[in-house]
Amino acid sequence: MNGPANLAVRVADRLRGLTVPWDVFAERSRRFEIHLQRGRVELTRGPLLLEGYGVRLLTPSEGQTGVGYRAATDFSEEGVRTAVAAAERLAHFNQFPARHPELPGAPPASPGDLKILDPDLWSDPAGTLEAFGAALGAAFADRPGAVPSFASVKATLVETSIANSTGLEYAYAHTVVETEVAVKAFGGPEGPAPGEYWYTDAARRLETAPLPALATAWSRFAEDTRRAKPPPNGAIPVVLPPEVLGGIIPPVVRFQFSAAARLRDLSVNAGTTVGPESLELGDDGRFDWGIGSAPVDDEGTPQVRHSLVSNGRVGELFFDVLHADALGARSTGNAARSTGFDPTGGAGRKFTRRPGPDATTLVVPAGRGGSDAELLEQVGDGLWVQQIGWASPDMLSGRFGGEIRLGYRIRHGKLAEPVRGGTVGGTVIARDGSSSLLKDAAVVGSEPRLVGAISTPTLAIGSLSVSGDDDRSSVPRP
Amino acid sequence: MQGENIVLDPRSLITGASAPLLGVALRAWSGTNWVETAVSRLDENALGDAVDALELRLAAGHPGSPPPGPSSSTVAAFDAPPPRSMREWGTEGALDWVRGVFGWATGMPSIKFAQVVLRWSEEERYYLNTAGANCFQRLDRVTAGIVAVAVENGRSEFNNFNVGRLGGREILEPINEATVRETAEGARALLAAKAPPTGPMNVLLDPGTTATFAHESFGHGAEADQFVRERSYLQPLVGQQLGPDSLTLVDDGSIPGGWGSMHFDDEGHPSQRTFLVDRGRFVGALHDRTTAFVLGAVPTGNARRADFLSQEFVRMTNTSVLPGEWSLEELVREAKDGIVLERWLSGIEDPLGGRMQIKVHQGHRIENGKVTELVSSMALSGSVLQFLKDIRAVGKAEKDPEIMPGFCRKGHGDMLPVGDAGTYLLSRAYVGPA
Repeated sequence: MNGPANLAVRVADRLRGLTVPWDVFAERSRRFEIHLQRGRVELTRGPLLLEGYGVRLLTPSEGQTGVGYRAATDFSEEGVRTAVAAAERLAHFNQFPARHPELPGAPPASPGDLKILDPDLWSDPAGTLEAFGAALGAAFADRPGAVPSFASVKATLVETSIANSTGLEYAYAHTVVETEVAVKAFGGPEGPAPGEYWYTDAARRLETAPLPALATAWSRFAEDTRRAKPPPNGAIPVVLPPEVLGGIIPPVVRFQFSAAARLRDLSVNAGTTVGPESLELGDDGRFDWGIGSAPVDDEGTPQVRHSLVSNGRVGELFFDVLHADALGARSTGNAARSTGFDPTGGAGRKFTRRPGPDATTLVVPAGRGGSDAELLEQVGDGLWVQQIGWASPDMLSGRFGGEIRLGYRIRHGKLAEPVRGGTVGGTVIARDGSSSLLKDAAVVGSEPRLVGAISTPTLAIGSLSVSGDDDRSSVPRP
Repeated sequence: MQGENIVLDPRSLITGASAPLLGVALRAWSGTNWVETAVSRLDENALGDAVDALELRLAAGHPGSPPPGPSSSTVAAFDAPPPRSMREWGTEGALDWVRGVFGWATGMPSIKFAQVVLRWSEEERYYLNTAGANCFQRLDRVTAGIVAVAVENGRSEFNNFNVGRLGGREILEPINEATVRETAEGARALLAAKAPPTGPMNVLLDPGTTATFAHESFGHGAEADQFVRERSYLQPLVGQQLGPDSLTLVDDGSIPGGWGSMHFDDEGHPSQRTFLVDRGRFVGALHDRTTAFVLGAVPTGNARRADFLSQEFVRMTNTSVLPGEWSLEELVREAKDGIVLERWLSGIEDPLGGRMQIKVHQGHRIENGKVTELVSSMALSGSVLQFLKDIRAVGKAEKDPEIMPGFCRKGHGDMLPVGDAGTYLLSRAYVGPA
């Protein structure tokens, strides 16, 4: 492939005369989509082309910094001039408590072997999507009782570039894939209502090899929802696989470990105990195929791995350039132009947003709990939660909870009958030493998996609150 | 689309401008399915490339049936700005308002942190097709909110108050000193809130939670593209009585000023009021051109794209439970024991399984027919059909329920503005921690 387009330099060339620090973040993205209905093509889309940039000015203002930001899609001389004028106007209004923010200088000498681009997708996006659709259909061909009632794959090919007033000029290419598959189970003489298992994923590459095994698992999950009963009611041991933890841990950690929360005195404090001594939690900006991995962050600072929790205690937070200066620290390469809602981190549309401190890929290392089967044996009796409707964690209090879309009772160390309905919930991080998911992770599995923004093994939690079929309401008191 | 936003908290003031996203989506029928391309550059070369790419896609297709259903031929333009537009007010005027609200919030004891957010956008949408449709509409949206955070003994709680509508700065009027102080008091009160009870129980939904119920239960289940995919639990139930006579549920994109309102949808069909449930009977679904053709219905003005890069499919606009006849006091007495669910936070549907989950920020216990202690956040869940059967009463309203602003994703993305409305509603469901 040719080198990635460096659109930022095209804009930066028109900013050389500015007297205040500035940076430009630009993206050129091409998206391709395929939407399938029962194996038939419902809609194909692409290329969907978007080119844009954001100009940021850091204007000194009464001991603080007036940050002016303007995004635009017009790369003409007039378009850039208009964007800069708007950024200057906005900088005049704004105040941020940074005195001398230092933008990064030289780019990384070598990005190394960073896995963020799917070469097949890059060279033939439409063909790769069609091949995936065919492979998905083939994976269900011999399953008369299950069908992918709907599936969509959205692949975005992005060329990201950054330039700034200290001379940084850097560009890199990457791919992002969003997959959604709804598997419907039906039929059989017993006649229960159809069941569905809904799979979603955000990743860097599109793989067809795992589809047969995934189709087997999805079909079983869909079938099991048809005969599932409500879960029990009360505080019981609960096992959460990576697919569920991916919706629980990241939103809370991304806020409570961010320098933006620190600046407002809402973060966890360094040294606070949030889990047992065995608890480790990191942030790895270079994790293989991580959705947040990149050679540099969205300000141009090289991304690295660093520790957030070590021996159960809070270590480092996430910093970008502005927050680092305001808090007397250094950027940790965690400037991101993302929103909490977008599982892809907003790839292709990042230029529309200002950078702020955020996680890249959270990493919970492998523990000693063994495989899922071995972990179940240690738990003995409890509840395995396969899917939650939406854990919707509260980033401030750390509380989470959602409907159990599919789970299994654990009896005598093995998965037993399926359950569905009711809710499961708790607290991700407790700063006052009370019960929490991190504190009460009694068994940590040994086989971590990358799920969206986190790589984690399965965790067995000593006790979580489950609302189920017992018609006698229990009233826990804090 | 373009706009501005202001965020003020104790440590920073940020005024920003959203990116002026400008672009075009092209759609054509291949003989078997729709194909689309899109481009953000509107020069002749870029548009030519987008057309070439579309033709390449068409050439790879297989000639088959004609496009589904007739194309819209609507010709109309709605281009007037609102009378008190935010642009006229300007950044300075808006900043003064934000600073005033911020001052009210931070004067309260126990409030450790407050944030005021004000956003407005001007959106211009064109729709043209080969049948002669030529539609233009300008939609000015304003939203604002206050968040107050109270902290005590290591416990943090927040409370918020938001407004959002189509229009100008009159939308901000409900945010005043009284509502801001009430919001801050609410955060402080939550510091002492008990954990909620758990299990199946009587639930009295406040108007916002009822509105979310409307959206997550019938709204998503009645999007007819899920019918075409045989992925809706509601599909076999059209025409059946599913709830009490007191329950009527509509989707209405034509409500003046509604957060999810529009003059016509992204296929050129005028927006309208569509009854989904009429006096307890499930009577209809929401359609775009394709689903209407496949299912023998007519388009209901619900074809929406989040923006030019996003696909068109069936989406809600403003979804409401219409008022019933019970006063709040009567509803509480009827419940006898249970819980009031207040201040909705989020919801999620289960289109085939027919379940729903609604998270609320707080609630009050109901004991012996009286509202008692405050409890913290919780989630309602359960089967929609069972919830409908268990509805015992719908609250009355002195005036049309207010459309509350929200955003909805369908599947993995495509976030767009939707409004919901409702009154108090009494039923039974699972309640659990959240």
